[in-house]
Parts: sequence; C-alpha cells; structure tokens
Amino acid sequence: MDRTERLLDLVALFLDAREPISWAELREHFPHDYMGISDDAAERKFERDKAELLELGFPLTYIQGDDERRDGYIVNRDAYYLPEVDLTKEELAVLYAAGSAALTSGAFPGRDDLSHALRKIGFFAGNALPTPRVRMELGTDQASPQLAAHLEALWEACAGHKWVQMTYVSPKRPDSTERKVDPYGLVLRRGSWTLVGFCHLRQDVRTFQVHRIRTLKVNTSRPRSPDFEVPEGFAFDDHVASYPWQHRFHPRLDVRLRLTGELASRAASLFPGGTVAPATEGEGVLVELPVTFLDGFLRFCLQLGPACRVESPEEARTRVKEMATRILEKHGVREEVAA
Amino acid sequence: MSVHERLRRLLFLVPYVSSRPGISVEELARALNVSREHLLEDLDLLTCVGRPPFNPDDYIDIYVENDRVYVDLDQRLSAPPRLTLGEASALAASAELLRPAAGDALSSAVEKLERVLPPGTHERFRAMYRKIDAALEAPQALGPLTRAIHARLEVTFDYVTPGRGAPESRRVRPHELLSHRGQWYLQAWDLNRQDDRLFRVDRMEGLAVTDTPFQPREDARAQVPNPARTDAAVRVRFSKLVAPYLRERFGEDARLLADGGVEVRVAGDNERWLTQWVLSFGGEAEVLEPASARAAVARAAKAVLGV
Repeated sequence: MDRTERLLDLVALFLDAREPISWAELREHFPHDYMGISDDAAERKFERDKAELLELGFPLTYIQGDDERRDGYIVNRDAYYLPEVDLTKEELAVLYAAGSAALTSGAFPGRDDLSHALRKIGFFAGNALPTPRVRMELGTDQASPQLAAHLEALWEACAGHKWVQMTYVSPKRPDSTERKVDPYGLVLRRGSWTLVGFCHLRQDVRTFQVHRIRTLKVNTSRPRSPDFEVPEGFAFDDHVASYPWQHRFHPRLDVRLRLTGELASRAASLFPGGTVAPATEGEGVLVELPVTFLDGFLRFCLQLGPACRVESPEEARTRVKEMATRILEKHGVREEVAA
Repeated sequence: MSVHERLRRLLFLVPYVSSRPGISVEELARALNVSREHLLEDLDLLTCVGRPPFNPDDYIDIYVENDRVYVDLDQRLSAPPRLTLGEASALAASAELLRPAAGDALSSAVEKLERVLPPGTHERFRAMYRKIDAALEAPQALGPLTRAIHARLEVTFDYVTPGRGAPESRRVRPHELLSHRGQWYLQAWDLNRQDDRLFRVDRMEGLAVTDTPFQPREDARAQVPNPARTDAAVRVRFSKLVAPYLRERFGEDARLLADGGVEVRVAGDNERWLTQWVLSFGGEAEVLEPASARAAVARAAKAVLGV
C-alpha cells in the first residue's frame, strides 16, 4: 500500500476507534504492510508511521490497559481537531497580511509551515477572509530557489536543535570554508537573511548570510534528540547589526552629528538608537550615537548630503573629509572618459 | 512532494471540501496552492482511503461532478488538524513583520494561536517562534494604511520629497503596501497627479484616513524599479575592495575588470538616487559616463566638503 494512503487509513481508523487498538489488531488490519516481514521490521515500520503522524500533530499514544480497558494505541480526538481560533477581524487581518507578505517574498524560514497555518486559520473565516494587500520583496540576492531551500532546512534544524554542515563563501576571502554550526536562529535585517549560531571552527557565536551558503546538510542522525541547547540569555541583537554602524568591527566610538533642513525632522527614524536633541547653538538637531564601524557609518552619512554633518570626534571628521575628497578627485573634470 | 507535505494537505482537503460542498476544482486547487493535475491525483488517492475492514461504507466518499468537488463523510474528518508547533511558530514569527504597526491586534492574535496549540507545547512554541527574528520595525502608519486599503477609503498626507523643500499635500487611493529590502512603500493612485505613484511610508507626515470611498482597480501593482539594466546609460566602476559585494548583488551584470574591480550599468533617470548610491561607497565607486552624472556626483562631494 502507498505510504500516504496507509497513513491516512491509520488516521481514519484511529479517529473512529472508541477503544485502544492493540498492535496485534493493527497487524491484522494492515496485513500487507505490517505482516509478511519479521516482527522487528514490522514494528520499526509502524514506529516510523507513528512518528510521521505525531509530527503532523496527530496525538497518538499507547496506553497500558487495566481491568476496564485493554492495552493499545488510541488518539485523543479532542486534541486532534483545530478548535475555532476566534480571531477578531483585526487579528485575522494582521496574521493574513504578514503571513502573505512573508510568502510573497519567496524566502521565509518555515514557508511550508506558514502556508499550512494560513490555510488552517482561514478555515473558519469563510468569506470574511481579508485579501492581503501587503507584499514583501527582498533584494535580488535573496530571490534564489537555493536560498529558500536553505532557509527551509535551517528552520527545521533550528526547531530540532540539530547541527548543520555547510560550505560558506565570504566576500572577504577568496576560498570557501567548511563550517559546522549549531543554528540558534534566523534573522531578517534590511532584506537579508542571517543565520546566527555557534561555529565549531571559530568556537564562538557567529553570523552567516544565508545567501552565501553554497551547500548545506543537516545532521540526520538521531533526528528526535537535540544536538545542542541554545545558551540561556542568548539574544540576536547581541550579534546581529540592524544598521551599518552597528557591526562590531572596532571599539565603540561616540559620534555627534548635526542634521539640518528636511533631515532634522527625520533624525530619529534615520538613526534609531541615537539620542536626538534640538541644537542650542546653530540650526537643526544634534544626534549622538555609538558607532562600532566608523566607515560604514560615514558612508551612510555621506549619502544624506550636506544636511548631515559630522561634528565630533575629530577622527570621524577627518575620515569623512578623506572620503569626500576621494570622491571629488575621482569625479574631477577629465579630458577623456575611459573606454 | 514529500509524504509529509502531501499528507498535511490531504488532512486539510477533506474538511475543507466538507465545509464548502460543491467548490470548483479550480478554486480548490488555488486554495491549496497545487496544480489542477496534482489536485485530481489527490482526489483519486482519497477515494482509496478508509478504515479497516474496508467495506464499501468504510471509505471516504469524495467525488468530482461537473468540475465541482463533494464529500460525504461521517464526522471523522470534519475539521482540520490543530496547528502544529512549526505552523504556529512560523505564523507568529511572520506576524512580527508588522510590529509595531499592528499594535494590540498582533499580541492578542499570537495569544489566541497559543491557546489552540496542543496542550503542553506552549513553552516550545514560545522558544520556537523566537528562532525567527524578522522584525522590520514597521512604521506606525502601516496600521491606518492597511485599514484604508481594506475599507477602500482615500487617504491624505504631507509628503516630503528630498530636495524639493516643503512637504506637499497629497490625496491618494491606497492600493498596496510593499516592503522592499526592509523599506516600506505605499502604491497608490495619486489624485493630484492622476497617476500611479510609489510613496515611501517613512516620508509621510500627518496621515489621515478620509471617509471618501473608492473602487480599486484590479490591475494596479507596485513595482520597485530595479536600477540594474544592461542597456542602462550610466556606467559605474567599483574598486577591487568592494567588487565582491557588487558581484553578489548584480551577478553576471557586474563585469569583471583587469584590476579586480567591476563595472555595472545602472539607470540614470533618477540623478538623486544615483548620486546617493555612488556616495555611499565612500570613494570606492566612480561614475565613468555620462559626464552629467559625473558632474552631479562631484557637486555632491563638494557640498559635503563645504567648497
């Protein structure tokens, strides 16, 4: 019998059963599947089927019989069926909009889980189902089918606490490296997916851009027992930068900026985490913030134009001048444009 | 398609059809996100499913008649299975995309999801959904904009266009919200301009939802312009230092140069965007042509230097 068909038959049988069903009965019911092979092989086959059903949320348990009841497998039907989630219109809209946005991005860890979940919560909604008008697009480097497949595998590895083996390429190095990583979780920042985990090669928590993973294998031995525990107090924000100046490349430097014109009112959204105060002298507002990657920070400031000025420290002022001078030199008047 | 995926779909399919008798094959395929062909295979398989001793009455009676699907069954498969841990976790994690714009609706929705999980799995659910951190710091304006899109109401706001001085007041018919590389945009019909426009949500001020209804157009869809085109007019050269990042982003469109740098072609119709982009490489990028774009970058660098 086809395995899917057998598993569905098992579901139908158990949902209908009032009494526990013994192993001997099961073998009788499915003679072509659980008989005609050794007892051990038959039991292993059923164990695999049972594990699959449990993963699908089918609450199959074995109960030891007593005077009233015999031994056998039984399912708690109340625990199987999805009760009405009773979501308000707003709650349904949020889940639907966000879930659909994640799915349209083409890359979201747990994509299959997510689409099943959306279907299930929409089951009771009928025609009241909101039409999502929210979309998420990641950059072109996040659009490959390989990235989506890696996210899916990493999601399973994260959930099962299984280590992964991967080939990783970094733009900073010419060659790829082989890494064994305990995946702690996945982070999306500014359109890019990052894996955070314990790197066995570096013996420390490291971050990896998922689109730079070339090959990925999840440890398949003992699938139901965890390979590692995530340390208590672990937080993504201690390892992942949301903005270029938060990369922990250098010691912390406190930088002060002056924003004028149209930038002044946008100071807080441009530099989250910074303190914004109206300037007591001169125009605009002053922004102070900690920077651990000065060049990344200054490049961001440069693109904001002259309405964003670095005030201190001197080191930052000098560096931004060097950058602007270099840009000017490169774009000075030339007799001939390179072919 | 793995056994796991197919089984999950089939366990949902039966109750779905039983609650919507006579649903068309097309509609059902769309709801399950499978092809018509796969769906018909699934329906075939389901006619073989039953419970021992497999008498004629023991089978699920599912059939297609005039391209519509019906199922006759007892109460065994009348409701879908509960959310699995993975399903609830992925849904809760995706909902974080709209924080903080979703406000209280988000936290109460996640609480309700947790309530319908199988007993004893709540702790694992909390641990699992935190394994995905997709917080995009969605701006507050997404909340009212989402409501306006659903209710089909016009909105007004003041829009800050960089380099154009004072904010301009706009009245639009909102169609779709779009997050691109972590930046939120609203695609809307601009009543002032009588044209489709893409607005950055973080540049809106004084957003208000009016009570003027409108009929949305079916074909409207936001497109974030992709500046990289091989036939584009602006040639930009990047140093060896930043070349690997450009190759990562532009792929084959980033032409490798003898010195290890790369050259890409981008659209030049938005001078402001181009200038900002070149400046953001802090001297590792150079516009080769046209001369007008080179001059614009030089002007911007001079402005920063105050000369």
